[in-house]
Amino acid sequence: MNTSRRSFLTATAGALVGSRLLAQGLVYQCPMDPDVRSNVEGVCPRCGMKLRAGIPEPIEFPMDLKVTPPAVKVGEEAQIEFSVLDPENGKLIQHFQIVHEKLFHMFVISQDLQYFVHDHPTFGPDGRFRYEITFPKPGLYRILGDFYPDGATPQLIAKTIIVHGESQPIPSLNRDYSTKDAGNMQVSLETDPAEAIAGSKTIMFFKLNPAEGLEKYIGAWGHMLAASDDLIDLIHTHPFIADGGPNMQFNVYFPRPRTYRVWVQFQRKGVVNTAYFDIPAHELG
Amino acid sequence: MKRILLLSLIMFRASGHDVITTKVTFDREIIRLFNTHCISCHQSGGQAFSLTTYQEARPWAKAIGEEVLRRRMPPWGAVKGFGDFRNDQGLTPEQLELIVDWEEGGAPEGEPSDIPQQVERPPELQFSRPADELVISGDTKLTRTLVLGALWPANIPDGASFQTTAELPDGRVYPLIWLHDYKMKFNHPFLLRGPLQLPAGTLVRGVPPAAKMGLIPAADVPPPPKPKGGQLPQSTAHAE
Repeated sequence: MNTSRRSFLTATAGALVGSRLLAQGLVYQCPMDPDVRSNVEGVCPRCGMKLRAGIPEPIEFPMDLKVTPPAVKVGEEAQIEFSVLDPENGKLIQHFQIVHEKLFHMFVISQDLQYFVHDHPTFGPDGRFRYEITFPKPGLYRILGDFYPDGATPQLIAKTIIVHGESQPIPSLNRDYSTKDAGNMQVSLETDPAEAIAGSKTIMFFKLNPAEGLEKYIGAWGHMLAASDDLIDLIHTHPFIADGGPNMQFNVYFPRPRTYRVWVQFQRKGVVNTAYFDIPAHELG
Repeated sequence: MKRILLLSLIMFRASGHDVITTKVTFDREIIRLFNTHCISCHQSGGQAFSLTTYQEARPWAKAIGEEVLRRRMPPWGAVKGFGDFRNDQGLTPEQLELIVDWEEGGAPEGEPSDIPQQVERPPELQFSRPADELVISGDTKLTRTLVLGALWPANIPDGASFQTTAELPDGRVYPLIWLHDYKMKFNHPFLLRGPLQLPAGTLVRGVPPAAKMGLIPAADVPPPPKPKGGQLPQSTAHAE
């Protein structure tokens, strides 16, 4: 069986959607050309050898990020180009698994945590992903690329772009669990424990009102991106439990005792609802 | 109320190891991560206690989870994704998630047949500080072109965190390195994945006056190891 963690998520659309924390299935790799990988059996297109089944190495795939123009300016259109490279030999990776309907998920967050984008760069015939963007203010932006190379493990790779000019102030976040009016519904949050503990599981219960007309958005009932206020921790996850009804559960480990801004996205009647909450994660004891 | 909550949380954590709630196992995913990120130090006769077998690693599972979440281990010393380093030993969010899920899910051993047969340890980096290293403190404007190949903290106050950027005369700004809770006892060079051309007039910004950061020309940096070939980095896999 060739079950990836994320394809499992896509496949199980029932009440238990599952976490991303399931073990990897087998992948197939050429004994002679280790950069030839696949999620299905077959032969190496280069040497003809039968691909050998194995347990995928949970290794990081380098991701090059190129910005055009290189001296990117506030308010001017720029292009971000992503190139995923093979950790074995630095060659461009051109084969990816579709995860939640897309080959590449991208998040962009500004240093002041006011600017948030979750979108999907276009896959070009040259094997690179591109995205047009206009940065609204100077300073630092963290970019998170979420992709799944064939025959490997899912990847979450962070990068940084700095737009010339006065840097944005470091945000001072206060606890904000208040109900949010998003696109066409309200989003409420409760957590267990009521005050999140760094390093321990925080169960986040979202209540959507009204939930009638709720739809999957990019293959999932919900999406979450959590960022620490210093932008060191970036967490992308999906509901642990969801069934298309008003209640949705996400399980998150906030790594450090910081305050985290948590963006959630749900779709109702064709409208994407994006809301955020500020959650302090406390030291235990 | 809060105390009861905390107590119940502690009890859950203490008893959590009795029940296996994860499919991530030591023999399958965790040992592979440890092989690439931990055992260069955590091995028999190494600088720290061994994590090469399940029996050795299991008692440390909870501590390992905490240390990796806090980014204290591996002691890479810099924030991932700020600068681009070929010897980056920091864990990606996915890798962190695997370790935490394993630990919180009862830290199971798994199937010995999943253990990799061969462990490929990266070769020791043979590199010493070159004579033409440029050591800077405070914001520094380059007076001549520098093709940067590596950064190597020379003296950093214990626990310091700061971002260093290169502002080029044409308006480009490169993130160079973001040291975080830096410990000189784990001092090592940060090797750029590709050389960075910094023309004269570039402002290297962000190194505190109390710190010293070495900028190493690319010509002094050892080349990356040759690509592997003919070896499959995998185990004796079994069908599921």
